[in-house]
Amino acid sequence: MELYEAMIIISPELEKDDHQEVLDGLSSAITKNNGSVSTILDWRKRRLAYEIDKFLEGHYYLVYFSAEGTVIPEVEHYFRVTDEIIRFMVVRTDEQEFEAAAKKAASEAEAAKKAAAEEITAAAEAGEAEVKESADTETPEPVQDSQEKTAEAEVESSGTEDEEDKPAGE
Amino acid sequence: MRRDRGRKPKKKICSFCVEKIDSVDYKQYEKLKRFVTERGKVLPRRISGNCAKHQRQLTRAIKKSRIMALLPFSME
Repeated sequence: MELYEAMIIISPELEKDDHQEVLDGLSSAITKNNGSVSTILDWRKRRLAYEIDKFLEGHYYLVYFSAEGTVIPEVEHYFRVTDEIIRFMVVRTDEQEFEAAAKKAASEAEAAKKAAAEEITAAAEAGEAEVKESADTETPEPVQDSQEKTAEAEVESSGTEDEEDKPAGE
Repeated sequence: MRRDRGRKPKKKICSFCVEKIDSVDYKQYEKLKRFVTERGKVLPRRISGNCAKHQRQLTRAIKKSRIMALLPFSME
């Protein structure tokens, strides 16, 4: 068993909901031949450095899988017959990269979950954090300490009066 | 002074060795961008100062990046 990393570019015309179908096809091509898919990283839509099939952007995916070397022709055949995949490359990787990718995928999933959960309260919290940051950086040197303290204290004590700190700090 | 014959120019250091990178990654194309010219050609070792080992890896990484349209083959 070898470790592989496949990078594919999916046509920008394909709806995002249909991406899974393409990826599932790849997974089945791998698993059918006793391989196993480890992680799939979504690299999102990116601008291409040059035109491919008249497209100037494409949706990148990174797929990490382990399989026998004989699987590669099968996988490449799948890439070639799938019209939505406009470019692909399969390269050997090492365990280090494999684990790094898995970790990244895990943290991304967590971040997505967090973002979804925080979205409701985000507006208020983000506003508060921003004011705190600007108060920290904008205070001039001599009176910095006292001003910073008061600014922070006010931020912590009440969310509504934050706006008044800014002009005072400048 | 710089023009003096026989005077060795300042020794350049391989930035990959400094960062202790053991394999150059084609996916980090933002980093690779520093090692191509405006036209997209690979910077020679004498300019970039890379060591031979990393320059070889870099060249391959740039070529992979080009295939995946992360870096241009040529500009203009």
